[in-house]
Amino acid sequence: MSDQLKEVINQQNKQQNTDLNQLDDIVQLVGFVIGDEEYAIPILAIQEIIKPFSWTRVPQVPAYVLGVFNLRGAVIPLIDLRSKFGLQTKKQSDETRFIVMRHGDDVAGFVIDRLTMAIRLKKRDIGPAPDTVSGKDTIIEGVGKQADKIITILKVNKLLERDF
Amino acid sequence: MDEFQEILQDFLIESFELVEKLDEDLVELENNPEDLELLNGIFRVAHTVKGASSFLNFDVLTHLTHHMEDVLNKARHGDLIITPDIMDVVLESIDLMKALLETIRDTSADAGIDVAACVVRLDKISGGDGEVPAPAAVEAVEATPEPVVEEAAVAAEDEVDYDSMSPDDLEAEIEKLLQERQDEDKAKRQAKIDAGEEVLAAPPEPIEDEPAPAKADASPAPAPEPTPAPVPVAQAPAAKKEEPKAAAPTKRAPAAVEQTIRVDVKRLDHLMNLIGELVLAKNRLIKINDDVEERYEGEEFLEELNQVVSIVSLVTTDLQIAVMKTRMLPIGKVFNKFPRMIRDLSRELNKKIDLVLGGEDTELDKSIVEEIGDPLVHIIRNSCDHGVETPDIRLAQGKNETGTIGLKAYNEGNQIVIQIDDDGKGLDAVMLKDKSVEKGLITEKEADSMSDKEAFTLIFKPGFSTAAAVTSVSGRGVGMDVVKTNIEKLNGMIDIDSEIGVGTSMKLKIPLTLAIIQALLVGVQEEYYAIPLASVLETVRISKDEIYTVEGRSVMRLREEVLSLVHIGDIFEVERILDANEHAYVVVLGLGTSKLGLIVDTLVGQEEIVIKSLGDYLKGIEGVAGATIRGDGGVTLIVDVVALMSMARDVKSTALSEPSSAVVSHEKTKASDYTIMIVDDSKTDRTIMRKALEPIGITLVEASDGQEALNILKSGDYNFDAMLVDIEMPRMDGYTLATEIKKYNKYKNLPLIAVTSRTGKSDRMRGVESGMIEYITKPYSADYLSSVVQRNVNFKSEFL
Repeated sequence: MSDQLKEVINQQNKQQNTDLNQLDDIVQLVGFVIGDEEYAIPILAIQEIIKPFSWTRVPQVPAYVLGVFNLRGAVIPLIDLRSKFGLQTKKQSDETRFIVMRHGDDVAGFVIDRLTMAIRLKKRDIGPAPDTVSGKDTIIEGVGKQADKIITILKVNKLLERDF
Repeated sequence: MDEFQEILQDFLIESFELVEKLDEDLVELENNPEDLELLNGIFRVAHTVKGASSFLNFDVLTHLTHHMEDVLNKARHGDLIITPDIMDVVLESIDLMKALLETIRDTSADAGIDVAACVVRLDKISGGDGEVPAPAAVEAVEATPEPVVEEAAVAAEDEVDYDSMSPDDLEAEIEKLLQERQDEDKAKRQAKIDAGEEVLAAPPEPIEDEPAPAKADASPAPAPEPTPAPVPVAQAPAAKKEEPKAAAPTKRAPAAVEQTIRVDVKRLDHLMNLIGELVLAKNRLIKINDDVEERYEGEEFLEELNQVVSIVSLVTTDLQIAVMKTRMLPIGKVFNKFPRMIRDLSRELNKKIDLVLGGEDTELDKSIVEEIGDPLVHIIRNSCDHGVETPDIRLAQGKNETGTIGLKAYNEGNQIVIQIDDDGKGLDAVMLKDKSVEKGLITEKEADSMSDKEAFTLIFKPGFSTAAAVTSVSGRGVGMDVVKTNIEKLNGMIDIDSEIGVGTSMKLKIPLTLAIIQALLVGVQEEYYAIPLASVLETVRISKDEIYTVEGRSVMRLREEVLSLVHIGDIFEVERILDANEHAYVVVLGLGTSKLGLIVDTLVGQEEIVIKSLGDYLKGIEGVAGATIRGDGGVTLIVDVVALMSMARDVKSTALSEPSSAVVSHEKTKASDYTIMIVDDSKTDRTIMRKALEPIGITLVEASDGQEALNILKSGDYNFDAMLVDIEMPRMDGYTLATEIKKYNKYKNLPLIAVTSRTGKSDRMRGVESGMIEYITKPYSADYLSSVVQRNVNFKSEFL
C-alpha cells in the first residue's frame, strides 16, 4: 500500500473519530410540560408520540396507572405523569399527548400535558440531580441548563419500572 | 468450529429423539423378550449413538454405548434372554446415556459422569452369558462373520474406534457391517420361516408372544389351500411370502418416515402471532360489516360485501386451525415415559401394575405438551402409591393380582381430556375430610357441608397427604397441589370420580391451544370483560329479589342448589355511575367441582379472542389473566377465573346497596352560571335557539348530534342545568340520547326538553318514555322557548 493511500485512510479515520466525539458530546432530548414544570427525556428512548385515544381501566393498580391501550395490536400500559408526580389530574386537552417510551423490552405510554421541542444539549451543560433528590431511587437523571431556563431530565428506565 | 456445532446439534436432536422412544421399547421388550423387531430397534439406537459419538470424539459416551450394544447384540441373537435383572442394568445404562447426552448438550463435552460401574455390569452380562455354549438354534447366525464382532465386543477393552482407523480399515469395517446386516436379514428370514413352520406344524401350541409376522403369514398360507395342507407345500408359499416381508423392516423404515422439515419454534410462534392479528382484524371486519348492513339496508352492494366478509372469515378460521396444527404434538410424546416409570415404581413398591395407554395420537399444542408432563407424573405416582394395593391385599379382595392404570387422551369439543384411571382402593371421602380437619385445612363445619365430590378435591390442598408414611414415591403432600396449579395455569380443569374399593378416575380437561380461546363477553357499567368460555357453565337472567343475603354474602337458588354470588363490579372496583337495572345476569362459573355465580349487567356475546399479556409492568394483577383486542380496536381484560374464585371469598357484597348519590348543587350567583346544551344537527335551528336564549345571559353549549352531546356531557367540562334536544339527528337520535343520559345516576334529574317538528302522539309518548320532560314543537316563539327553559332550570328572576 502506498504511503499516500495510508495517509488518506489515516486522515479519514481521524475525521470519523472527531465526528463521533462531537456526537458523543451532544445529547438529544425531547421536552414536555407537566403542570408548570418542563421535563425532558432522551430522544432515543421514545418509540413514538401519539394523540390521546381511549384506554381500558385496569383494576387494583395505583391511580396513576390509567389502564392499558391498544398500540397497533400490542397491549401497552398507560401512565398519567401528572398524578404520578402528585399533581391534580386535569382534563385532557388538544395539546395532551401520549409519549410511548421504550427501555429494553419494557414499553409504556405516558400522558403529558404538552410537548415543547426537541432539545440538543451539550453533555457538560447537564448537571447532576440536586442532592436532596439524588440517590438510587430518584427518577431524575440530571438537570439540563439552557440559556434561560433549566430542564429536569428523567430516567426512562425508572419511569418504566413498576413501583407498586 | 461452527461446522462442528452444527453437526453436534443434529447429533443431539437425533439422539434425544431416539432415546425418547427407547424407554417405551425397553419396557415392552421386558414383556416380550423374544421380540426381534424391538430388539433390533433398540440395538440400532445404541449403535447409531455409538457411531455418531465416536465420530464426534465423545469417548465416554462411545465407551458406554459400545458395551450396551454388546449386550443388546447378544440378546438380539438369542444368546441372552432379557430378565428383569438384566433389564435393570440396561435401563441404568440408558439413564447414563441420557445424562451424558444432556451433559453434552449443556457443555459440549461428555466429561463428569462415571460410567465405569455400569460398564462392568454390562460386561458381566455380555461376557458371562457369552461363555455359555450357544444354543443350537442360532448355529447359522453364529457361523458367519458374527464371531468377529463378538470377539471385538467381548474383548471389548480396546474398542472399535472409527476415527482412528485408516481409510482402508474403515472400508473394511463398512464392508463388514454390510455383510453383518445381510446376514442379519438372512437370519431373520430363517427365524421367521422357522416360526411360521412351527405354527403350521403344531397348531395347538399357544401362539408365541411375537405373533404378528407369524400370524400374518400363517393365515394367507392356508387360505388358498383349504384342503388339509401338506406341511412342505404350506411352507413353500410361506417362505416365498417371507422374502418381501423380511426386507420390510429395512424398507419400511424410510417409508414410515413422514415427510417433515424441522422448523424453529420461534418462527411458528411468530406465525401464530400474525394469525392472532388476523383474527382480530377479522372480528373487526365482521363488526364493520354489521354496521354497514344496518345503515345501508337493502343496498345491492351489501350482498357482495357480505360474501367477501364471510369468505375472509372462513379462510381466517381455517388458517388459524392450520397454523395451530403445525404446533400440535401427539401426546404420546409425554405418555412415552410412563411405561418405564410404572415399571420402576412397581418394582420399588413391590406391586404389580399394568399401564394401559390409549389415544397417544391425540394432539395438543406444543406449549401444553411441555407443561402437562409434570402433573401427569405426580398423578400416576400417586395412583401407584396410594391407589393400587399390594398383590396380597388385591387377592384378598378378590381382585386381579395385577393392578391396572389406564392413561388415555381424547378430544371433547374444544378440549382435550386426559383420563387417568386406576382400579385401586379408591378415595374415602370421610377419611379425606377427617384428615383435612385434623391438619387444619378445613373446619369441622366446612367438612359437614361437603359433598363427596368436593371432598375428593381436598387432595389438591397444599400440605395434604393421605399416606401414613412419607415414602420416596409420595406422601410429602406437595404433589397434587402442584398438579392443580399447573393444570389451572393451562386454563384446564380437574374432575375426580372415585368409589371405595373400585378405583379412582381423574379427568384433566385442557384447552387445545393457549393463544386463542372462546370467551363470553360481559358488560358491567361501561366496562367489558372476557370470561373464558371453558369455565362458563351457564348464564341465567335474574331479578334483584331473587338474590338473598346469607351471612353477609349474596346467594341465589339455582334449581336445587344454592349458588354463592359475587358482583363483578366488586371484584374489579368498577365505579357505579350507571343506574342499576332491575334485572341482572348471573354467569355461573365452574372450576372442577366449585361453582360461583358472577353477577354482570349485560351479556354481550361469545367471541373468539386472542390472549395478549399485559406485560411486565402490569403482570400479576389478581383476577386478570391477560387482555385482548376487540373488533373496535379497544382493549378488553380477560378474567382469570381461578383467581376470581378465590377473590370472591374475601369480597364484601356491595352490589345491591344503592349508591349514595351525592347531589352537588351549585349556588347560582349570576345568569351565566346556568348552562344549557343545545343538541340539533341543523346549524340554523341551533342559531335560532341561541338567539332566543342569549338575551337572558345563560351559558350555551352546542352539539350537532346525540353522540357528540353524550361525549360533552360525559367529559364533565360543564355542569348542565338542562338540555334542548332535537329528535331526528344522525349517529344518535334524541330518544336514544335521552335513554343513554338517564342511565347515569347523576343525570337522573337533568331536565331534557325535546325541540322537534314531530308532532305525532306516538312521538310524544316515545319522548316521555325516554325521559323527556317537555315537548316543544317547531316552529315556536323565542319567548315561549325562553320561558320553558327558565321554568325548568329554576331561573332566578333577579338575574333578568
